[in-house]
Order: sequence, then C-alpha cells, then structure tokens
Amino acid sequence: MTFTDVSRAETLDDASAAFVMDEDAFRAFYERTARGVWAYLARVTGDRQLADDLLQETFYRFLRAAATHDSEAHRRNSLYRIATNLARDARRRRLIRAPFSVSCNDIERIPSSEHGGAAERMADFTRAMSHLKPRERAMLWLAYAEGASHREIADVLGLRPGSLKPMLFRARRKLAALLGRGPDKGKR
Amino acid sequence: MKPVECEFESEVLSATLQSRWPDRVDADLRTHVAACAICSDVVTIGGAFDYAREEMRACAVVPDSGRVWWLAQLRARREAAEAAGRPITAAQVIAFACAVGLLGACFGATSTWFQSALAWLGSSVAAFDAKGFLPSAATLVAGHGALVIAVAAVLFVVPTAVYLALGRD
Repeated sequence: MTFTDVSRAETLDDASAAFVMDEDAFRAFYERTARGVWAYLARVTGDRQLADDLLQETFYRFLRAAATHDSEAHRRNSLYRIATNLARDARRRRLIRAPFSVSCNDIERIPSSEHGGAAERMADFTRAMSHLKPRERAMLWLAYAEGASHREIADVLGLRPGSLKPMLFRARRKLAALLGRGPDKGKR
Repeated sequence: MKPVECEFESEVLSATLQSRWPDRVDADLRTHVAACAICSDVVTIGGAFDYAREEMRACAVVPDSGRVWWLAQLRARREAAEAAGRPITAAQVIAFACAVGLLGACFGATSTWFQSALAWLGSSVAAFDAKGFLPSAATLVAGHGALVIAVAAVLFVVPTAVYLALGRD
C-alpha cells in the first residue's frame, strides 16, 4: 500500500467519523423527527415527491454539518432550518412543480362514515394553504402544527423575533379568512 | 397600534390542540374568544392544523432509518474519496509537467544537434530581417520539418494531458 493509498483510506474512515452522531443516536433521532419533517416539507413545498427527496437530503446535511447541539430542541431546530433552506433552494430552482398535491391518498384508513367530512376538511385546508406564500405556510406550520415558539420559528426561518409576530399575525389572519370562519371572511 | 398578539393566545391554542375547545374550557375564555379577533383566528386555524398534522403524519411514508444512515455513509465516503482525489490529481499534473521539463532539459544538454539548432536560432534572431522573414521561415519549415512537427506535437499534447487530468474533477 502506497502512502497515497494510506492517506485515502484514512480519509474514507474520516467520512463516517465526520457525522455529528453515531448510528444508534441518529436512528432514534430520525424516528422521532422524520415524519414531522416530511409533513413540514410537504406542506411548505406543496409537493409530496419533492418532500421525499428533500427529507433524505435534510438528514444527510444534518449529519454532515459540523455543529454541536446542546439540547434536543436545538438539534431539532437545526434540522428544520436545513429543511427550510432546502425547500427555499428548490423553489428558487423552480423544482416545485405542482403545488398542493399533498393530501393524503390513503383515505381508506378513515372510517367510511367520516370519508366525506374528512376529505372535504383536508381539501379546504389544502386549498387555503395554497393561497399563502411559502414563508407564511412555513411559519404557520411551525407555530400551530409543530408547536414551536416564536424564537424557534425565527431561528428556523432566519427572521428577527421582533418581526416575526406581525408576520405571523398577518399570515394567521389571512388563513383564517381563507378557511372562511375567521373575522375577515368575505374581505377577500 | 393594532395588537398582533393576545395574552390568552397560548391558552386558547392549547385548548384547541388538546380537543378541549369549546366544551371543556372556562366560560370566561369562551367569552373572551368571542370578542377577540386574534384568539378567534387561533381557534379557527388551530383546529385545522391539528387535524392536518395528524393526517399528514399518518400518511407520511418515510424511508427506514437504517437505510437513510447507510445511504448517508455511502455518500459521505464517495465525497471523501472525491475530495481526497483532487490534490492527487493536481500533484500528478505538476509531476507530469516537471518530467516533461526535465526530459527537455536533458535532451537539450546532451543533443549536439539541438545545441547547434539553438545556436543557429540565436544567430538568426540576432540577424533577424523583417523583410526576409517569410522566405526564411519557409526555408526553415522546408529544411526542418521534423522539428516543427515535434514542437507542434508537444504544444498540443501537454495542454491536452492537463485538460484530461483536470477534466476528471
């Protein structure tokens, strides 16, 4: 084995050592967060297929990021920040093809008596979300589906916490009006 | 200034997400929500998001964690190999250029034919006559065709070798 071969082999070993966590820790973290991140990506991009692709890329970049996390929440925020940036990049590259094809197809799992109501409810929600800007969708999903705090949302979206509140207020009001049950109903 | 948040907002959201709204909350909170546009919006969209979140998570089909880890490892190794290969390629190009230069120097130092050609070239440059250049050039090409072809080949081969070596990156 030449010096070059030794150097190359060491580099290959370093590749896995460069991950921010070991396999067991990663698998546990993935099980806790993957579905949530997928749902977030699907809602923000409006494209299930793209969400599938971006999910793997999100976790790969998370693993390769040379970052240390002092808590589970911090780690989770980093993950969502990577997902947000990837979704934004995909939008810039115009990879988001057919918005809002994200409704769940396996409606069979819902009891038959609820089919109509469930499908209609999801369709209403999906239609309303489609009228929001991607950043509005992201901040609302983080706030109301993920239960993130204002500081966490600002961190994930790269916004100042002070400017988040009015933006969140406007997005919420817009969505409530679009859902047809809020105070702004009929203004649009 | 129009308020953008309400002190009861989080309480209303918790009640909505925990399916306590509207039956299992205080009457005071219901009265407040009826009069507060912010909390009214929270009730409206909180329920919708709660339902959508459960629906989306239930229908999400994510790859197995072991598969994601394995693919990440493969990709990391491939990227590491590519990164490791880059300086080696650069070193190979430099070594090739040095070898060509060394061979040229050895050839120049040992070949009497080459030295006489150099001397001839030097005297030609010293006695360069612009008016007689074209006929002289034609005579040179005609008399030393092999030398011209060799120089042209080196001029072509070296850039091509460099291009091919760097092109792999």
